[in-house]
Amino acid sequence: MKKLAVVALAGLVLVSAALFFPTSLAAHDVNECYKNHRDCRENALNLDAPWYKVMLILTVCDVALGKCVLAL
Amino acid sequence: MKRTRNAAWTIFIAVSLTVFTAARAVDRPGVGQWKAVEIALPANDVDKAYLGRPIALALDADQLYIVDAQDCAVKIFSKDGEFIREVGRKGRGPGELSFPSGVSVIGGRLYVADKFNTRVQAFDLAGKPCGEFSVPFAPDKVWALTGETLLVTSNPTGRPAAEKMLHIYDVGGRLRWEGLEAQASSDPLFDAFRNMILVCPGEGGDFFVLFRSGERSILHFAGSGVLVGKIPVDERHAFRPMDLPFPGPKKRLLGFCWAAAWDRGFFYISAPAPVEGKDLGPGRLLSVVDREGRLTASIELPCPVHRFVIGGGRIYAIDDDGGLRIFEVVR
Repeated sequence: MKKLAVVALAGLVLVSAALFFPTSLAAHDVNECYKNHRDCRENALNLDAPWYKVMLILTVCDVALGKCVLAL
Repeated sequence: MKRTRNAAWTIFIAVSLTVFTAARAVDRPGVGQWKAVEIALPANDVDKAYLGRPIALALDADQLYIVDAQDCAVKIFSKDGEFIREVGRKGRGPGELSFPSGVSVIGGRLYVADKFNTRVQAFDLAGKPCGEFSVPFAPDKVWALTGETLLVTSNPTGRPAAEKMLHIYDVGGRLRWEGLEAQASSDPLFDAFRNMILVCPGEGGDFFVLFRSGERSILHFAGSGVLVGKIPVDERHAFRPMDLPFPGPKKRLLGFCWAAAWDRGFFYISAPAPVEGKDLGPGRLLSVVDREGRLTASIELPCPVHRFVIGGGRIYAIDDDGGLRIFEVVR
């Protein structure tokens, strides 16, 4: 019973993912995402702003990378 | 009998304390207070003299070079702060720059870390491009160690394992050495701060590396890249702790220096200062530390400074507003 629930849940997650992210990841230029992420990080690290602010911008860079890679 | 024994103990403790204090005083002599006297700058009315985003400075015998990442140019000033000209413009071709982030000058050649074009470009002092080479990373700072070798630094991306942060090239672009592996953990954000480094070139082709947080030793490298020593810095230049405000296990950054420079046998290390409660930002206090790591003097500047270079007894610094400030150091 437990096994069945796990399998059902995993299936549900996969179906949701397929419905939610319809874009083909292969067609999407992931390298461009990483290049933008690198530029975003370099910008943040060269801001010379107080560290809390730099930390927030680095976090935004990471979120933007995730969104870009998943083509959201 | 008991009274005699107590008196003997008291004398013993007093003598020990005196000897200990004297030994400490010999080992750690008093710290001088050097003054920074501000020098008035000329008006510099031309638009090009305005610094949009100054992020690196270099000095030679005659001129001051400031990289402006916003204008994609190196702006050249006299040592009294008078604007002379700019070198480079935005673009991808020869002589053009995209997010320049480092500059170094030696033997009439200006070397610029052209970050988003992932290359190092050379100019003559009139601004004519005279060579370039590509690097497989976004170069952050460039330092001419000798007329033949350049040290290029990079910020780790956090993706490949064992990324190196220091790279020595010859001026023709041939890689000679790579080293100083980035620290990596399961928290890339924490790692980004732990891997922030500052470089101070020495006088004989050697160079020093300081971590901005977490490490109070200065690494001394020979021009070949061999680590030749570690200089522990006097504890009187104290860590400034800062707790990272994210969930999970508590992580604490130990702020050590915001910016640093080396001049004639002394390190000038600016301590990070508290900003609006929990944050750390640029400070006004410079610790002058000798080659053995002893705190020799401190200098309190009239304003916080972000980056600076030191030469000829003067501090050339960038203030909170991105403006150039020049201070004469009076010992």
